Order: sequence, then C-alpha cells, then structure tokens
Amino acid sequence: MPRPVKRMTLAPALLIAIFALTELSPRVSGQTAAPGFPSKANGEWSSYNSDIKGSRYMPFDQINASNFNQLEVAFRLKTDNLGPRPEYKLEGTPLMVKGTLYMTAGTRRSVVALNAKTGELKWVYGMDEGRRAEMAPRVLSGRGLSYWTDGKGDERIIYVTIGYRLVQLNAKNGQPIANFGKGGVVDLKEGVVYGKLVNGKWQQVQIPLVEGEIGTNSTPLVAGDTIVVQSAMAEGLRYEYTNNSKGLVRAYDVRSGKQIWRFDMMPGPGEFGHETWENGSWNWTGNTGVWTEMSADLEAGLVYLPGESPTIDAYGGNRPGNGLFAESLVAVDLKTGKRRWHQQVVHHGIWDYDLPGAPLLMDVTIDGKPRKIVGQPSKQGWLYTFDRITGEPVWPMPEKAVPQSDVPGEKSSPTQPFPSKPPVFSRNYLATDDVIDFTPELRATALQNLKKYRWEQTPFVPYVIPNDKVLGSIQVGNTMGGVNWPGSSFNPETGIFYTQANNSSVSGATLSHEYFEKIRPENNPNHIAIWEAPGFAQPGFEAPSTSGYRAPSAGGGGGGGGGANPLTAGLGGLPIIKPPYGVITALDMNSGTLKWQVPHGDTPDAVRNSPLLKGMNIPKTGQQGIVGVVLTKSLVIVGDPQMTASPDRPRGAMLRAYDQQTGQEVGAVWMPAPQSGNPMTYMLDGRQYIIVAVGGGIYTSEYIVFALPQSQLRITTER
Amino acid sequence: MTTRERTVVLFVALGAAGIFSAALRAQAPRTVWDGVYTEEQAKRGAVLFDKECAQCHGPSGAGGSMAPALTGQAFSANYDGNSVGDLFDRNRTTMPPGKEGQIEAPDNAAITAFMLQANAFPAGETELPSQSMMLKSIKYLAEKP
Repeated sequence: MPRPVKRMTLAPALLIAIFALTELSPRVSGQTAAPGFPSKANGEWSSYNSDIKGSRYMPFDQINASNFNQLEVAFRLKTDNLGPRPEYKLEGTPLMVKGTLYMTAGTRRSVVALNAKTGELKWVYGMDEGRRAEMAPRVLSGRGLSYWTDGKGDERIIYVTIGYRLVQLNAKNGQPIANFGKGGVVDLKEGVVYGKLVNGKWQQVQIPLVEGEIGTNSTPLVAGDTIVVQSAMAEGLRYEYTNNSKGLVRAYDVRSGKQIWRFDMMPGPGEFGHETWENGSWNWTGNTGVWTEMSADLEAGLVYLPGESPTIDAYGGNRPGNGLFAESLVAVDLKTGKRRWHQQVVHHGIWDYDLPGAPLLMDVTIDGKPRKIVGQPSKQGWLYTFDRITGEPVWPMPEKAVPQSDVPGEKSSPTQPFPSKPPVFSRNYLATDDVIDFTPELRATALQNLKKYRWEQTPFVPYVIPNDKVLGSIQVGNTMGGVNWPGSSFNPETGIFYTQANNSSVSGATLSHEYFEKIRPENNPNHIAIWEAPGFAQPGFEAPSTSGYRAPSAGGGGGGGGGANPLTAGLGGLPIIKPPYGVITALDMNSGTLKWQVPHGDTPDAVRNSPLLKGMNIPKTGQQGIVGVVLTKSLVIVGDPQMTASPDRPRGAMLRAYDQQTGQEVGAVWMPAPQSGNPMTYMLDGRQYIIVAVGGGIYTSEYIVFALPQSQLRITTER
Repeated sequence: MTTRERTVVLFVALGAAGIFSAALRAQAPRTVWDGVYTEEQAKRGAVLFDKECAQCHGPSGAGGSMAPALTGQAFSANYDGNSVGDLFDRNRTTMPPGKEGQIEAPDNAAITAFMLQANAFPAGETELPSQSMMLKSIKYLAEKP
C-alpha cells in the first residue's frame, strides 16, 4: 500500500506545475514559484486572498464534485482561550506556508501557528494593550495576517493589533523581530491627525494615542518588500460628532519598519482634490479611510485603495462637496504613494456605500483584446470595472440624475455613476416586482406598508427625516447589502468572477428628529471628535446616545410579526422582499455578462415554518447574510451565513460546493455553526484541506479543517 | 359549619387550588411566547440598549457592518431551541466589548427584555429575572409553539 500515496500526489502536482508556468510571474510575493518563496504551485496560501490580486483562487481539484460530500474533519481549533473571553465572531482566514498554518484568533487577536497537517500548536503570540485595545474601534480577532520572506530563510508574520500597532514576528517561533520598528512594533497611531480648532484657527493635530479612534480588522498588504497598512474608524452610520481621525494609507519597509510613504485619503491644501471638500469641511471632517483589504499589481507597480465614507455616513450637511477620495477607488504608485488615478463611484456619499471588499485584479479578453482590469465589488450590487492601468471604465459608466435629499442642509449630488456592465450581482433597490408575493394578501399588505415610505426605483434614495406621511426611505444596498468585508473572487483561468451577496437587506432609512438636531451644522459650530466629548476618558463614559438614526430591519422578525417595524407589519415575520434572500453570482468578465445566479443557504426556519405559508411549496430561498467564497479548479466553496434546523439534518449550517460552470450545488458538509470567516484551501503532502471559521449566537468561534478521508484518497488515486 | 367558616374553607380551598395551579404552571416549561418580561422593563431596556449596544448593533438591533443584527431570521435561528439564559449570558459575559461584565444584572435583564420585544415576543405581567440560572428554564423558540 505505500505506492498509492505517491501516485496520489502526482496528479495535483502536475496540474499545479502547469498552472505555475502559465499564470505566475516571477518575483511576485505570494505567487512566485522561485525557490524559497511560497507559491500556489507548492499548495501554499500565503496572503489573505491567496494572492495580492484578490483572487481567492487555488488550482486544486482533489476535492471536487464527486467527493465533496465525503469531507471529514481533519482537525479544529477552538479559540475560546486565546483572549480574556471567548469570541463569537471569528472572521479570520489563515495562511499556510511551508507546512504551517498562521492565523489570528480570539478576543486578544492572538497570532497562532499550527502544524498544517495535524493542527498541533506550534506557538502563540498575543499583546495585552490594556485600555488602548478596550477603546479601539475595530476589536476582536480581525481577518488575519500577512507573510513575508526574503527567500533565504528569513520568514516573518505581520499583523495589526487591536490597538493599531504593526507587529512583526519571526514565523518560526513567534518572537518579535527586534530590528523592525521598536522591538518588532511600529505604533500606527503616531502620525494620524484630526482637525482641531486651536485659538480660533483650524489645525491638524496628532490624535491621542490611547483614545484616538483608528484601527483595522483587515490584513496589511505585503507587496514585494513593502507593507501597506490601511485605516478604519468606528462604525460610521450613527456617529454624531463631525470630526474624526483622517483616513490614510501608509507603506513601510518590510525589514526596518521605516515609513516609505503616506497617502492621505483626504487631500490637504494644495493637493489634488482638496477643493472637493467645500466650505472648509476638510478642516474638521475625518474617516475616509480604507477599512477593507487592498490589492496590488507588482508588474504595474500600483496599489489599489478602496475608500471609506467620510464622517457621519448618512448625513453630509457638515461636509458639502464630493469629498475625494471618499468612496473612491484610488490607484497609487507602490514605490512613492503618489496617486496615479482615481474613480469616485459614489459622490458625496450618504448611504454608507463605502467600498467594502478587496479590488480584484483580472486579466481577461474583451472584444478580442487582452485587458488588465480591476473590479471593485460594492454594497450596492455593482462590480465597478476599470482599466487598472489607466483607470478608465471598461464599459460605459454614465453619470445619471438621481433623487435629491430634502433633509435640511444636505446638498446631495445631482448625479451618480451607473455601470452599464456587468449587471448587478445582487439587488440594489426594491423593485416593484420584487415585493413579497407568496400570497396576494401578503403582497397587498406589503404594498400598503410601503406607501408610508419614500420608495423609488433606484439605489440612491436619500435618507428622510420622518413626518406625518413618510416614515423613512427604502434602501436595499445600504450597510448590509451586496458584498461586504468578505469580498469576492476570480478564476484567472476562465475569467469568471464569483461572489456571494446579500440580496434582501431592506431598510427604512431615517434620520430621526433627535439625531438630526445633534448633527445639523447649526448645532455644531465647534466641531469636536468623540474623544473630546465631556467625560469621554473617564470610566463609565457611555457611547454617544444613538437614539437618532432608525433603520429597523425588514429582514423578517424572529417571532410573531416582525416586531413594531411598520415596514414589515402584518407580514408574519417574513421579509418584505421576495427570495432569493442571498445569492451566489457568477459574472463572465470577458463579456461583462451574467453567467448564473443561484440562491445560497437553506430556507430560513422562519420562512419554512411560517404559518402564513402552510401547505405551500416554497423553493429554496437562500439566506440573508455576508460570507466569502473560495475557488478551486472547478468549485465555488462557501458556508451558510445562518443557522437552520432543516428537517433532514441536525441544527447547524452547511459548507457548500457549487459547480463553477453551472452554479449547481454539487456537495455539502455539515458544520455546527454558520461560516463567520472566509474559507481557504491548501495542499500539503498530497492532501487538500479546506479551513473555515465558524461561530455566532451561542456557539463560540472555531476554525474547522476539512479534508477527504485517507481511504477515499487512496481509492481516488488508485482508480 | 357557620357561613363564615364555610367561606374560610372555600377561600382556603380556592387558595390551595390557586397555589396548585401556579405550581403546575411553574412545572410546565415556559417559552418566550408566555409573556416573560414586562413592557415597562423593555422600555427601560430600550434606553440602555441605545446607550450600550446600538452604536454597533444599530438602532433596535438592526445590525451594522461590524456587528450582526439582533432581530430577524439569522438572530432567532441562533437562539432557537436554546434558552433566554443563554442570551442573557451572552450579553452578560461578552458585551459590550471592552465593558464585559460591567452592566448590572437588572440592566442586563432589561436589555434582554428589550431584545425579546424587538423580536416580537409578547410582554406579560412579570419581569424577566436577572439571574441566568433562572432564565435557563425559559426556552427561546423562534416559532410560536
């Protein structure tokens, strides 16, 4: 029996070798097949998205449609003890290099190294940051970490702590690299500024190192020998102070930790775009960071930065103007940080449409010509697609007139860009045809409810202040629609883009009178940041009262009728929007067309068991939620975003595999809790593994690693 | 037996029956559909929720991009078949991040009551207790039994 094992490794190795020759360029960190560097050819997943182009694609086929159902648990890592309390929201994607898995985990955001074959613990590193971590805007374990090597045995793990420190560790033993920064640490809060009125004059001053609001849940981007670090602030929708830290992106030398460049996402006086912050609003406004993953094209020497919304997401009365580079995709030079091009995809954003997932760098053939393009997934269902060298839209993207806000002081943009191709991967407005229609009664009730809202057939319906006639405005894209931090994926061999997307995040967007009084310009002559609020630094300070903005979920009530939400009243807890509630969508990027779209996730219990639908045959609805996919040679692999108690199995969630060509579900394995972090896959000693983070509700977080049984591998390879 | 004595006996009997039926009620498993919190308690919880939770979880628990919704299908599916004690304990031991365990038990019970209300479970005559062991006996059922 020793022979089959050898044969088993041969086929995938051959496949990968071919891929390496055709797909990979040398000196590309994380992709090169050069000796000493990690590569997909070696089965290694060496950066958050598998490569720095954002693909989440691995050319493996050992786990395929014929055997996915046979997957078994190889090992797992429960993360409860990796921090002062258990975590329920593990969003990490591990890396696998040279037989070791590296990941962040636990409420301390510890770094963990495991034997990738057995799960045995190699080392753990954690930094206790005390109050600085307690005050941090982006807490918990984060999305993961990054890897760098010089190819000669110097291997380093790089991550950003909860308290916004860039840390470098020796990959072999978890010890800080002494000559990187100060003892392995660069304090990222140093150099971050915010606007402050000093003796009647606006100045940009250093944020306080403990209370100053900045951090990130994302991974630093390692591009060649450069580390690029993003910045994020707290959730912006309900923020009631006009000031905040100004978003920025910085690059550091991977060996020394010395800063190479900084790119201010809000251009200062004299810089390109500064005039787009009207009435002096640049002085006080903040946010406008880059909170999600970035991508880089080493050949072109460009880094792609997806921009956040400016301070106070849903109200722009304190920041008139388009506000560059908010909600913009910016390409900057990797060596200098100088802007090469930018495209603002939402002008003067008031919908929280900041750019949520890594830009995807795709090489495709359009109209017979090879093209290097970048696709930016969004919450509003569009994949904004540009030539990644010139920044020109690949397909026409006309500016079209959009509805205007009637909120006092708000100067909404008269137009917004509308991509003509590819088609949306998820709904971005509530079309009349998409209103619930399980029964005529339900539809009539829903339409009656909708009469109380500003409801228009466009993704750009502004927020409203409620009055006798209008309770809110109907939005679908919004904070939780479409794609979020898990991002999307791309198969470079076929030119097909794949994504999971939330297709049903309907809300009635409202700025309440109380909230509006707090944020309106007349009441903010002094413009302060949250940490300047009276009593902020004292123990017992409560987060600002958030009784303002009200956007009751219309995703269906958990119990008897959707609660007091007037949007879903009388719908018996059912969503106001028709299924599918969540989808997997495939777009052919060679043509900019829809290849397929299927519902993702079992029908939620609340729908399947609804007394209003008794006796009806409801096709699989999919589930609301945001989860990321991983691609192999032939499969799209992704877990359910929700728990269900489907009749044919125990309560839990499924990890599913879809055929990349047809969208047909070809296999599924059971998990004790929904997917909470993007899955990844790696190959080690001839065996393919899939690792996925799960948890939520009362299920504490864990990583689960799946592989085919050894017996199954022998059968497959002997055949 | 005088009329008065008869009345006393009747009262005693009625009282015993009342106690008996209360005991029966106590033995029957309660669920979130049995009016396990009061309107007043949920109102207090709403104010606390706004201060302590809504910054991340959104108003009325609608959810944000960092923190999940605390109403709706996905939330209820997480707790379906578990207990109100599990929900209470989750709040008590892990929320809000950075202030775990610092919210007083009666306040935590009020927040939990508000969350039940936000998920459209009916209010009743008695307040939700603030001891997790007692709350373990109240079953969280997403669908009305």
